[in-house]
Amino acid sequence: MNIDIKGIVIIVGNYGSGKTETAVNLAAKSRLRGMAVKIADLDLVNPYFRTREARVSLEKLGVEVVLPDKRYMHADLPILAPAVAGMILQPSELTILDAGGDDVGVTVLAALGDQLRKKKVQMLQVINPLRPFTETIEGCLRIKGEIEISSKLAVTGLVSNANLIDETTPEIIYEGYRFIKEVSQTTGLPIEFITASSRMIPHLDMDRFSCPVLTIDRKLVFPWTKH
Amino acid sequence: MAKVLMKGNEAIGEAAIRAGCKNYFAYPITPQSEVAEYLVKRLPEVDGVFLQGESEVAVGYMIFGAAGAGERVMTTSSSPGISLMSEAISYIAAAQCPAVFVNIVRCGPGLGGILPAQGDYFQATKGGGHGDYHLLVLAPDGVQEAVEMTMQAFTLAEKYRGPVMILGDGLIGQMMEPVEFPEDLATAPSNKDDWATNGMSTRKSKKRNLVKSLYLDPTELNAHNLNLKAKYDQMKREEIQFEAYNADADYKVLITSYGTMSRVCRTAIDLLKEEGIEVAMLRPKTLFPFPEKAVFEAATKKSCKSVISIEMSMGQMVEDVERCVKGQRPVEFYGECGGDIPSPEKIIDIIKAMI
Repeated sequence: MNIDIKGIVIIVGNYGSGKTETAVNLAAKSRLRGMAVKIADLDLVNPYFRTREARVSLEKLGVEVVLPDKRYMHADLPILAPAVAGMILQPSELTILDAGGDDVGVTVLAALGDQLRKKKVQMLQVINPLRPFTETIEGCLRIKGEIEISSKLAVTGLVSNANLIDETTPEIIYEGYRFIKEVSQTTGLPIEFITASSRMIPHLDMDRFSCPVLTIDRKLVFPWTKH
Repeated sequence: MAKVLMKGNEAIGEAAIRAGCKNYFAYPITPQSEVAEYLVKRLPEVDGVFLQGESEVAVGYMIFGAAGAGERVMTTSSSPGISLMSEAISYIAAAQCPAVFVNIVRCGPGLGGILPAQGDYFQATKGGGHGDYHLLVLAPDGVQEAVEMTMQAFTLAEKYRGPVMILGDGLIGQMMEPVEFPEDLATAPSNKDDWATNGMSTRKSKKRNLVKSLYLDPTELNAHNLNLKAKYDQMKREEIQFEAYNADADYKVLITSYGTMSRVCRTAIDLLKEEGIEVAMLRPKTLFPFPEKAVFEAATKKSCKSVISIEMSMGQMVEDVERCVKGQRPVEFYGECGGDIPSPEKIIDIIKAMI
């Protein structure tokens, strides 16, 4: 089952839910299927592990990456590239906005409100139930509510990103799927897709999922990882 | 309890709660602000208190006050913030109050940058503040170890009645790894009735306690400092922790490294082994007390020709390594301190050039 997501897509979720890995891999996979893709790093709150660190590999694929000025790449300053407003006015086939974590991270979306209100946008909430504060349905709903208030936008779909990085097992992904279905039933929101690392894919029974699975090739790796 | 996925900063916050710490005072600074963000949500759930100070100077003395009153207390900060707290740390050490300080180190000197570094080794192990005192310094190499060391830190702070520091570089704070919280590391608070200003109504003894660092009488002050020194000597006997990696091999080169840098060195050692080149690593987990004997013995193993200290600094721990090797082997140094972490390939090139 292919992921068929087009238009302007905002990736939100609680801090550390895996928004950036999801956004970056969605951009790469969509581009590989021939779509024109733009991605913007709107994470103004996280100092490390941001979209900007996957810039080179994305640009090689032909994804247009919008980042703050290089000079401020390692500043912990809330810099919003002017090009972001431009890409909302003239979106490509798929335009991904990778927001920062929690309600604080999406405040910037309210600043883009004038541009966003004129367009049809999808806002996807990424959930990893193995992260603090989203291990319960109530936790996910609380984060969703806080994000919607700060961003002045509504969440339109859900993404399960259940993982323990290298210690992920098929059971964790199945359990994450069961959990996201419950969140979906409670909220009435559709499950857009779930994620699984390329290492896990051969071990998964895909028939258990009635939604698409986005393969994650980790782009944000530790400096000691063997290449 | 099953594992959860946590950032180092969050995990340190949760570990403090699991260790029974209900008092956390801090001032935000990158790259450790997530500790405060996490604890501001979690502490109310356990009837705990988070207070943001007006500055790190204020926070240092808030810690002193709470510790002197016999409460388990912690603060977290990053390099410039620790500089501002250093006066209070000296007072806390002198007044013999248990407290936990976490330094998630960024690049220095000055404002430097927000990326990871190990340039605060001297500050943590050789003072920082004034006078004859030491911190017991624990240096985790990942999120799980950060959890365990944070939990141990409260027990150690009470055992020695003094400040304990967790020294982690920015990556330790920012990266996510699966973690669990070992319940057996949580200890009951020690009885502080004989020294803390914990309130006359809460204890049986009617003795009045005084928490202070002022000793005007020279004989009395000298005795006080000898008492502190005896504690540091006891730490050297009882608290040294280190890891020896690939030390059973007949290695030609010994690497000394700690924290994030040691994980890169570990990968380099594994890759060199595949090429038939044996290299070992001695990783201090306590930076004070320093594993002096272990470094000497590993360096003077017959097969070992030379030692190299690899750090995200311009050469700090290497001074302790040289001191311990006592001139028995040449001690070299490699370091970077701008925020980029040397790659395993870089380390391999350096090692190959040595043999």
